[in-house]
Amino acid sequence: MLKYIVKRLILMIPVLLLMTLVVFSIFYFAPGDPVSRIAGPNVTEEVYKSIQKKYGLDQPFVVQYLRFLKSVAEGDLGISILQDRPVLEMIKERLPVTLQIGLLGFAITFAIAIPAGVAAAVKKNTAVDYLCMTGSLLGIAVPTFWLGMLLLYVFAYKLRWFPISGDGSFKQLVLPGFAIGLTNAAITARMVRSSMLEVLKQDYVRTARSKGLLEKTVVYRHALKNALIPVITLMGLRLGWILGGSVALEIIFSIPGIGRLMVDAILSRDFPVVQGSMLVLTSSIILANILADILYAIVDPRIRYG
Amino acid sequence: MSLNKIKKPLLIALVMALLTSVFTGCSSGTTDSNTENADAGAAAAENGEKVLVIGFDQDSDIMDTMRTAWYSDALIYIHDRLITRDYEFNYKPGLAESWDVSEDGTVWTFHLRKDVKFHNGKPFTAEDVKWTIDTIKDPDTASPFREDLAAIKEVEVIDDHTVRFILEYPFPNLLYNLSATAAGIHPANAYEEYGDDYGKKVVIGTGPYKLEEWIPGDKTVLVKNEDYNWGPEWMENRGPALIDKIVLKIIPDENSRIMELEVGGIHILRNVPETYVEQLDNNPDITVHKNPATKLGYLAYATDKEPFTDVRVRRAINHALNKEEIIQFVFKGMGEPAYGYLPPALKDEYLEESQELAYEYDPDKAKQLLAEAGYADGLELTLSADNSSKSSKLAEIIQNQLKEVGINTNIQLYDSASYTDMLKEGKQELFIREYSWSNADIIDWFLLSERFPYPNHSRWVDEKTDELIKSAARQPTWEERAEGYKEVQRYLIDQAVWAPIYIPVQMIAVRKEVKNFKYHPWMLQYNDGFDIEAK
Repeated sequence: MLKYIVKRLILMIPVLLLMTLVVFSIFYFAPGDPVSRIAGPNVTEEVYKSIQKKYGLDQPFVVQYLRFLKSVAEGDLGISILQDRPVLEMIKERLPVTLQIGLLGFAITFAIAIPAGVAAAVKKNTAVDYLCMTGSLLGIAVPTFWLGMLLLYVFAYKLRWFPISGDGSFKQLVLPGFAIGLTNAAITARMVRSSMLEVLKQDYVRTARSKGLLEKTVVYRHALKNALIPVITLMGLRLGWILGGSVALEIIFSIPGIGRLMVDAILSRDFPVVQGSMLVLTSSIILANILADILYAIVDPRIRYG
Repeated sequence: MSLNKIKKPLLIALVMALLTSVFTGCSSGTTDSNTENADAGAAAAENGEKVLVIGFDQDSDIMDTMRTAWYSDALIYIHDRLITRDYEFNYKPGLAESWDVSEDGTVWTFHLRKDVKFHNGKPFTAEDVKWTIDTIKDPDTASPFREDLAAIKEVEVIDDHTVRFILEYPFPNLLYNLSATAAGIHPANAYEEYGDDYGKKVVIGTGPYKLEEWIPGDKTVLVKNEDYNWGPEWMENRGPALIDKIVLKIIPDENSRIMELEVGGIHILRNVPETYVEQLDNNPDITVHKNPATKLGYLAYATDKEPFTDVRVRRAINHALNKEEIIQFVFKGMGEPAYGYLPPALKDEYLEESQELAYEYDPDKAKQLLAEAGYADGLELTLSADNSSKSSKLAEIIQNQLKEVGINTNIQLYDSASYTDMLKEGKQELFIREYSWSNADIIDWFLLSERFPYPNHSRWVDEKTDELIKSAARQPTWEERAEGYKEVQRYLIDQAVWAPIYIPVQMIAVRKEVKNFKYHPWMLQYNDGFDIEAK
């Protein structure tokens, strides 16, 4: 198992390198550079060039890319051109709030999806099933940012239970957490339902029932645990989606997270910051997938990694 | 089938570790500021602290006037400048009590106030002025403001409270440049003293507010300078500000900004979009102040390319535009038609007879001019703009109006960085621009031949223009300079170098809690008697 994890971690390196090269190339060849923001609209070519030179932006592609790799190796992820601070420091400021929203979203997802999916499966083709599945269809159809705006309008603007823009309190996390949680719960609940239906047909479930176990025990201890395996894969993949998807929510809810950091950096062409945040996001997606694989082995004893 | 006895604790441990690290460890920064805020809130309720919150869409990158042109408004209040501008846009004493200019306009002597202290307690002296100007002029600083001070040859310290600027040539516009946000005075050797923190955690000025905290992308908190009693003579309140704290809050989403204003989460919102004005006008808690902006929107063209080399084509384009209709369509009627090259708010330099000299809407005349120029069968051109909703609307209606006179256009939209690049490369034909600047020297930027190809994106290389501008800019006095620029404007209108379209309205929404709001055409003066109900 340990060997497997180490192997997976080593495999991350070429993926990350390729990612940085792609992002770097896009920024190098795309029009615009961060100097236009520092310089403002009214500077002469001479001053413009002197600013470019100060930040090393007049250097050829390879030199700039190698310099970036060196700063990654040194561990500070480079210096933001516009803010003149280590990118790592900026990410450290911004990442926690994004993770908090993501985890809250995750918790809400599971809190809703598992009971709803199980109920729909156990009471298949009853009103409960239809209600859960119609609800989840709605949830799948609604984009997260739109749900976010709706929640903001109703619960923050009209009812005033929550702040409209981020104020640093726990309360600011609730609405974006629900926006993520509800939309993700929709798709997860369907997955739990179909997976449960599959498992409930299995022989061992019948055996458990015939042993005279309580139906609750059969469903939750025997069936659900096995039904969760595909759900875990899905969640591993969804983590990246949640982190990326929080960009729109961070803008709508005025929360200075890593998504906004990245969008602002893209617009102002501050590529060390884009690189750094992409690196963190990509790594966390890969790590989430590795974690999902490890969880399989824990949940399902049949799975072993050599 | 229960969990393996070893694996279960492992799973629980994993999840717990993840949760604790995210919700406690990593968030220590935010948690600290939360409790601080809560405390501040509680204290505010007790002492009746007055807090003004202003909404912004974007933050600046660095809090240093010398190193970026992308300023935070906070810097207006943290720093003072040698020269100020009053509500009527006149130049008045600031940190300089008075100044004299030699007859030929090349030696400026400033007599400084003697009672001024920096936020760090140090007295303000001539050395600080010299250090600030020298640092901006030092090429190693790579200051975007360096060019504006190019006329200054040397700064001499005469005594603690007298400083002399020796100029390369007469340059009355120094008045403007020394009163701009960028000319805020810093304490001498600030970079050495505060090192890497300067412009990030620390900014020192002599202004009515001090920097308390800056969380980039989130908010800036300013706290009033209790010692301040050197407000300029034209202010009603020259002493410490009445409002204890100013919070500049970043709310990137337009909708959320308006909602915050309506529920009272922010008190002042600048640059209100036209689409929300009616809604806010109908809200009894909010007043929208509308004043003509120092901005100008225009249609430009690459004057070195066919068919724009022909002045008849340029005039025809001017005649083809119905400015009132454009303003109605794009800005719901909020805005004034532009006739000249400067906004009328620049009262000294604006050419009053612009409207009489300019080209009135006359499609028949336009067609006739095009026919004379040999384009009776019409033209096929591209029309470029940035991809903001305002510019795309402008492009749409301009396309329609040009079509009326036989000019067919293809619209191309760019994001703002690509737009600048495209203009630098000189790929443009017709293109839409808006500038925001409160000085006649904007004409130098856009139309001097030495600025070709950028910022001279209309690619106007013309000897007479150069001559007129240079002579205007180097007159010995401000009045003679203003006259010179009027001459420039007459010539530009005659040559139809651009097709000016509109002067937008500066809209500032203010909530009822704010007392004694006074509009200032350049920098709002929150320390000048502005008040707010305590929480």
